[in-house]
Order: sequence, then C-alpha cells, then structure tokens
Amino acid sequence: MNAVRYVKKAKKGNKEALLQLIMAEKDDYYRLALTYMGNSHDAMDAMEDMIVKLYENIGQLKKEEAFYSWSKTILANSCKALLRKRQKLVPLDEVGMNGNLAADAGSFPAPDLVPIDDPYTNSDRQMDIQKLLQQINEQQKEAIQLKYFHDLEYQTIAKITNVPVGTVKSRIFQGLKKLRELYGGEIDESR
Amino acid sequence: MNHVEERLRDEKKRINSITAPEELETRLRNALNEAAPKRTKRRIPRVWKAAAAALFLIVIFGYHYNAFAYYGKKLLGFDELISGTLLQELNEQGMGQLVDKGVTLEDGTEVTIDGIMSDANQLILYYTLRNPKGIEDAMGGIFNPEQITGFLTNSNVHSGTSLINEDHTEIKGMRTFKPVSPFAKQLTLHYREQLQNNQGKDGSISFPYDPNKAMQTQVKKSIRKTIKVDKGTITFRSITATPTMTLIEGSFNVENFDRIHSGLSGIELIANGTPVEELGSGHQSSIRGRNFSIHYGLLPKQLDSLELVMKEFVGYQKLDQKLSLASINENEPISLEGKGLWVKKAAVTSQGVEITIATDDDVLLDGVSIEAQDEVTSLRTTVNQLDSKLEDGTIMKERTLLFDTSVMPEYLHIKGMHYMKEYNQVIEIPVN
Repeated sequence: MNAVRYVKKAKKGNKEALLQLIMAEKDDYYRLALTYMGNSHDAMDAMEDMIVKLYENIGQLKKEEAFYSWSKTILANSCKALLRKRQKLVPLDEVGMNGNLAADAGSFPAPDLVPIDDPYTNSDRQMDIQKLLQQINEQQKEAIQLKYFHDLEYQTIAKITNVPVGTVKSRIFQGLKKLRELYGGEIDESR
Repeated sequence: MNHVEERLRDEKKRINSITAPEELETRLRNALNEAAPKRTKRRIPRVWKAAAAALFLIVIFGYHYNAFAYYGKKLLGFDELISGTLLQELNEQGMGQLVDKGVTLEDGTEVTIDGIMSDANQLILYYTLRNPKGIEDAMGGIFNPEQITGFLTNSNVHSGTSLINEDHTEIKGMRTFKPVSPFAKQLTLHYREQLQNNQGKDGSISFPYDPNKAMQTQVKKSIRKTIKVDKGTITFRSITATPTMTLIEGSFNVENFDRIHSGLSGIELIANGTPVEELGSGHQSSIRGRNFSIHYGLLPKQLDSLELVMKEFVGYQKLDQKLSLASINENEPISLEGKGLWVKKAAVTSQGVEITIATDDDVLLDGVSIEAQDEVTSLRTTVNQLDSKLEDGTIMKERTLLFDTSVMPEYLHIKGMHYMKEYNQVIEIPVN
C-alpha cells in the first residue's frame, strides 16, 4: 500500500482513503488506544474521535510520510482527552493508585487491557509487569509503554507527551531503573 | 537486570497478539461519515498559490512587457533634446546603457552621467547638470566633456548639444565621442570644469561599460575603390553601418580640395534607391594625403541595394580667359565654361585697383591677374566676401579682388577655376 498516495488523497477530502490508511494499521492503533483507555469500548471511542480529528486536520499535515506518527499523536491526545472527561466523572482516588500491589486491578485501566480470549490472561508474569508499572509514576509509565509496547520513536513519544525528547529518554531511563529495583528486589526475595 | 526488559518484551508480545475488533472499521466509517463534510479550513496547496501568483504576474507584466522593458532601459528625460532624431527612436527601443554616476562641481552643480549608447561608429553620452541656484547658460560652459578613456580606448569628443530648462537650474546634454574599444570594461570620462576666475579644472568620472550591450553593427564592408578626379584621387575604403549612424571612411589626395568648402557634400549614399541623410563629414591629414569620414543616417532594416554615388567633387577647369573690362555689363554674366561670372564694379581706390565680382557659390577663380598697358599685376588678396541670395534662391558669392596698382586695368585674366564638378561616379556596394 502506498501510504503517501493515500495520504494525498485523504488530504483532498477522500474519506475512504483515510479509512484505508487507518485500517492498514488498525491493530497498532487499537493497541495504543487500549493501552490508554484500558477497555475495548473506550479504545474504539477514542479511535472514532481520532479519525474525525484526522479528517478535519489532515490539511495541516505537511509531510505525507509522517502520517502515522502524526495520527498516533492525535490518537494519544484523543485518549487523554477522553480520560480527562472520565476523571471528571470518576474521582481520581477511586482509580486505585494507592500503591498497593494487591489493589483491585480492575479499577485501573491497565489490567483490563487484556481481551478475554487472550492466551496470557491472568498469567503471573503479565500481572507482574502491569503491577510493577503501576509502581512508577504515570509519566514514566506512559513513556515506557509507548516505547516498549508500541515501538514508537522518541520523537513521536515526545510529541504525544508534549515534552522534549531528552525528557522522554530520561523518563524511560528513570522508569526502567525503578522497575529494575522493584523487580530485582522481588527476584532476590524469590530466590 | 535484564529481567525487566524481558518482561517488557513479553508484555509487548502479549499486546501484539491483541487485534482490533471486527466492528472497528464500521465504527470508524460511521464516525467519518457523520463528520461534517465541510472542512474547517481547506488549505490551498502551495503550488496553486504559486501558480496563481505567476499567472497574475504573467498577465500584468506580460501584457505590459514592452512598457516595462521600455522604462527599464530608456534614458528618461532626453526626449526634448533629441526629439525627431533617430537617436530618439533608438532611445525608445531601449538601446542605451544606464550609468547614473555623478560628480559635484566646485560651484555645487551636480553632474550626472545618465547613460550611454555605444556602437562601432560612436559613443553617445547623455548627462544632466543640476543646480538649484542656477547654471550658466552657455554651450561649453561649466562642464565640458573632452575625452573618454579606457582599455584600448582614447576617444575624443566629436559633437554635442544641450538644452537648459526654463528655470535655468537643469541642463540636459549629449555628446558624441569616437567609438570605444569592445574590450573596455570601464570607461573614464575626462571633463574640464570652468571655474569662476576664468580658470579651468580637470576632472574625471569612471563608470562601468558593458561591451555586450553595444549595439550590433549591421553592415561592415570594405569598398576599396579609387576614383580619379581633376587634381588627384579619392579612395573609398569602408562602410560601417550601426544603429546610430552609417560611416563611410576613405582617403583622398587632391591638390585643390580645400579650395571649395563643400568638398565632400556631393557624395551620396543610396540605399534601396533612396538617398540616406547625410549628417556630416570630416577629414584630417595623414601620411598618405588626407583621411576623411562621412556620416550618414541609418540604413533601412531591409537592405536590398546600396550604392555610393559621387555626384560632385572638387574639379578644376582650365580657362585662360582674357576678359575686357571695358565691355562688361554688371547684369550680364560672362560665361566661364557654363559658370557665370558677374563683374559688378571695377575702380581705382586708395587701396589700389578693386574689382568686385560675383560667381556661383562653388566657384573659386584661379590665377587671376589684371593687365593694364601690357603690364600684368597679380591678385594681392580677396576681401569683403559675402553670400547674397538671389530671388530664385541661388546663393551667389560676392567678393572684391584687390590688386596693387593704381592704373585702371583693361583686361582681367583668369587662368582657371576650382568648382564643384559633376562626376556621377557610382560605386555599388554588394549587400549580403
């Protein structure tokens, strides 16, 4: 698929071309949305928001090649906007960021990320990493997720999180360091 | 230590196994279709903006291209000075090179070299003098261009004209110079400035010159034809036609050439059967006789034929006439080989013998003497020469001959005469 050609078509207002662009990488988009939103329904809501925003703003996209990183940035922003809306309705402290590893994971988006038929569902390891991620701060977690789960470039992550690339790298580094400490400690204990 | 990364990779694998639900496409399509088809702000691609701008410029400038080119190169403000001349036409075709360099003279007058026109025959310099306090109105006044120098160039001023405005604050002038070398890249105008105390001051202005912008020579041919005349030979060497003028050069070795003042005026340049306007001529001495140049106007663009016609040139007619002064009548001309001679008066005065005669404008008598009682007295001098116009328009040359004798003569001897003789020699110059 020649993405650039489709982007050009989409720029001229061709809805189908835009849809094809998204569908070509629908899984990536979906996974990204799911990471933020935590459940399939909200992830698809975010993607709906995204595609409308893309349609409205694609004229501002200067480099056709940058469509995917640009659209993912918009998706991330759509997700955050939706989350903010939710947060207004649901008080933050109910979300379960209480530092307890054994906290009800269901109230936090991440554990619900797993579809019902996933083979790794409820695997200890998966639970481990998700729980661990909750131990580091939100920004570090976001950066690590984007980098390690979605293979996004530092540049794109910087755009999504609206901070300089250096900060992104530093967040990832610090986040990983903390994870190692936490994880390492556990390993040591288990040995 | 790598466990964390390993765990992250595992988690990524798990995430990668997640696929988007089937309904996603439908949902997205619906969302898109619901989105207002109206674009918040349709961006016009840059290329279209550029195209629109280009189209605009093409329409505006293209339509007025001639006008822009015209004002781009035309030497503005000299219309009046050169009106009705071929130079004006050339100026309007934008054949000039703008210079726009200036200098301020001692009395505060600003001199600006506006531009030049250059070709193989001459260089024309246009200049302006400005002084709000007023400028001396005199040709050859405060600012006298004398020479243009440059690489392989040393051109003296040839002719010129100038015009002062009503307020006497601005003079527009032009000077023609001998042609400059096509290798010159920079020219220097040397001028002489007239100071208050009757002293002069030399100055110069340098300006760039682009030989590529010099006007192209249209015709350059050697002629190399020699015509024999009564008292020598005349050789036509070459013709050079440029957009500003046509120049015929050659040399002659004619003993009595300067006997008559209209020496070269009987030579016509005929292009396509029509005479080309003569602008002037000049000659100077050289090792082999005298070199001459005759300036004509422009050749027609479509040149079918070109010929040089020597209708008249200085000739000599041997007469050996002995005229009796007793039988002469003031109003009856004596015929000298077709030319009339009127003897108006013959008298003895305190100066000696005075004989007043009149002839055609182009006649100069040679070997004049008087005879009285077998004594021959040669002409001492000729005085009081004046031109008188007859009723039919012909110009007669009247003068008084003085002889050193106090005896009233009986005869007037005339050995010969110099006059404009019809030769009607035609030299055809091949074109193409």
